Amino acid sequence: MKSFKLNPIVLILINILAPSLYIFINGTYLQPVLAVFCGALLLLLGYYRRFVIYLILYAVLYGLYYGCLYLGMQFIALFFLVFTQSFPCFMLASILISRYSSAQLLSALEDLHLPRILVVAATITLKYIPTFSREFRYIKESMRLRGIAFTIRKPIASFRYFVAPQLFRCAALAEEVTAAGMVKGIDAPMRRSSYYEQRFRITDVLVIMVFTLGVAGAAIWARR
Amino acid sequence: MGQKMIEASELGFTYADSEEGIREISFEIYEGEVILLTGNSGCGKSTLLKCLNGLIPEVTEGELNGHIYVLGKDREGMKMHELNREIGSVFQNPRSQFFTDNTTAELVFPMENYGYSKEEMDRHLQKLTEDFSLQGLLDRSVYELSSGERQMVALASSLTMDQKVLLFDEPSANLDYGNAMKLGCLIREMKQKGMTVIVSDHRFYYLNGIIDRVFFMESGHLRIYGSEEQFKQSGYHSRSFDIFHLDVPFRENAGSDEEVLSVEDVSYKNILKDINFNLRKGETTVIVGANGAGKTTLAKLMCRSIKPDHGKIRMKGIPFFIMQDPDYQLFGTSVHNELTLVKKDEESIKRYLEHFGLYEYRHTHPFDLSGGQKQRLQIAMAMLCDKEVILFDEPTSGLDVSSMLKVSAEIIHLSRNAATVVISHDYEFIRHVADRIVYLKNGSIAEDFRLNKENLSLLNGIFHEMQEEVK
Repeated sequence: MKSFKLNPIVLILINILAPSLYIFINGTYLQPVLAVFCGALLLLLGYYRRFVIYLILYAVLYGLYYGCLYLGMQFIALFFLVFTQSFPCFMLASILISRYSSAQLLSALEDLHLPRILVVAATITLKYIPTFSREFRYIKESMRLRGIAFTIRKPIASFRYFVAPQLFRCAALAEEVTAAGMVKGIDAPMRRSSYYEQRFRITDVLVIMVFTLGVAGAAIWARR
Repeated sequence: MGQKMIEASELGFTYADSEEGIREISFEIYEGEVILLTGNSGCGKSTLLKCLNGLIPEVTEGELNGHIYVLGKDREGMKMHELNREIGSVFQNPRSQFFTDNTTAELVFPMENYGYSKEEMDRHLQKLTEDFSLQGLLDRSVYELSSGERQMVALASSLTMDQKVLLFDEPSANLDYGNAMKLGCLIREMKQKGMTVIVSDHRFYYLNGIIDRVFFMESGHLRIYGSEEQFKQSGYHSRSFDIFHLDVPFRENAGSDEEVLSVEDVSYKNILKDINFNLRKGETTVIVGANGAGKTTLAKLMCRSIKPDHGKIRMKGIPFFIMQDPDYQLFGTSVHNELTLVKKDEESIKRYLEHFGLYEYRHTHPFDLSGGQKQRLQIAMAMLCDKEVILFDEPTSGLDVSSMLKVSAEIIHLSRNAATVVISHDYEFIRHVADRIVYLKNGSIAEDFRLNKENLSLLNGIFHEMQEEVK
């Protein structure tokens, strides 16, 4: 159902709220609610393949968590637990990045009446993630061509070969993107308009309501 | 003479972290003028452009002196968004030209920033689409466009606000011959409409006959030539205007008999069909073809990054591949370390460091080198690597003529012990290095010949054909 329209603000809001809720509600109860909610959202938006991949990853993470508990490795189990708990948020973030262009995100964030500088910074950061994965593939390929393999025998050296170019690219890219925005009036003081319709629809309200009910349910469940 | 668009008086800029910059520059630019801004790398061309579009002092740090007036208004009192309503900019790097990743989003992006209504945006978008023939390019990912298409979208998006002045930073660096000539025609049209165009570039064959004045930069100082003719007589590589009449001796080199690579009946998806050729040690082969002809795919096949659907590539190991962007290829902690990653042979490393003028930089981090030094380091790596095939991807894009000549000499030197393959659309450079030309057209080899006096007309014919294709 790719035609199902969802205002990116809904995703942004939920993505900000969801991790903070772990402070107030016991993760054992909140986590399944969030996972079901995010999974349903993926299906609703038509990301079937991604849903299956996430389901498998989620199961693997859970398996690792219980496996570590069973073997008495509490510390490592905790690591996997944190990862499993943040997994629903990763799902949401992945939708946010792949479904909306930076222009749409920019308009959505503007609607929240945040300062322009914050909006621009957030948009650039969000859009850097797909760029990062493209650069990642490119550097991996280039390491292969140079005959510098990513080996477990030399983990630190391998990691360094990998990270140093990324950091330099990151700095260069940040400057380039800033320049590209600056020469196109990103600092204009007038209220920014949007070419992409971003009305708040009844579906957006419904999604938020379901989310709120789910969280409330988790809170009640946790108290019982 | 029309209205005065830009005026600079005693303009100077010094970067916070380097010696480079511009000094006491004064000029006036009028409506409808086409200005070529040229000079060797590091002469201050980009700095001047950045002063004009406001990135200096807004983004780049340093000390700015003097004044710029845009349409009579002092730049100092103008905000970026006011300035860029008058001046549009097209950047050199195709990756950094875009703020968004979708062509339509990119085209409306400036209008959104200036708060246009949806109707106004639609109207403007319609006009841009017609003016720049963007019909097939709307609502596409910018990453799937060819470099010519990308240039077209970048150009259109920098004129969304009906800017009267347009700045280009090395537009030909990433364009093939046909697309560069097409850009020349577009600039001519803009001039006829009364626009002011300032083009900073090392190559200017595509601007032949359109330039009003030439701004020549040298170590941060500006010399103005009053006409194209006057510049042509100055002797500064001005023969580059007429690339097909260059007087470059032919290499008359047949290579050795030692075959190091053979490509047999190779096909890949619908990009390449039945490709056959052999490479021999001692020979430099240049692969030419329009953007999208399959040159990069062929390089990937030779590097075994992808597997052919059909056919075989026979070769010992993989070639040493010198990418266009060295930043992806440097992994060492210092210049010396970078070379030891290739081969631990101290004696040869020292020899190459000295040969390439990098010895004093041996402890420097490769990323701190200049663009030219990085490229020399890549070539030093290729010399050290003992591989039988060395592959170059567009090694001269963005190089000034003297750097291009240096790279040519190094490639010829390199080809003594290996077969070198170069992907290039730089005619002048091709004339200097090529022993053999392989012309890829629509995924097949259309021509494969030795470059000599008799066959020169074949090469020229290929370039004319590429120009016809984009028309």
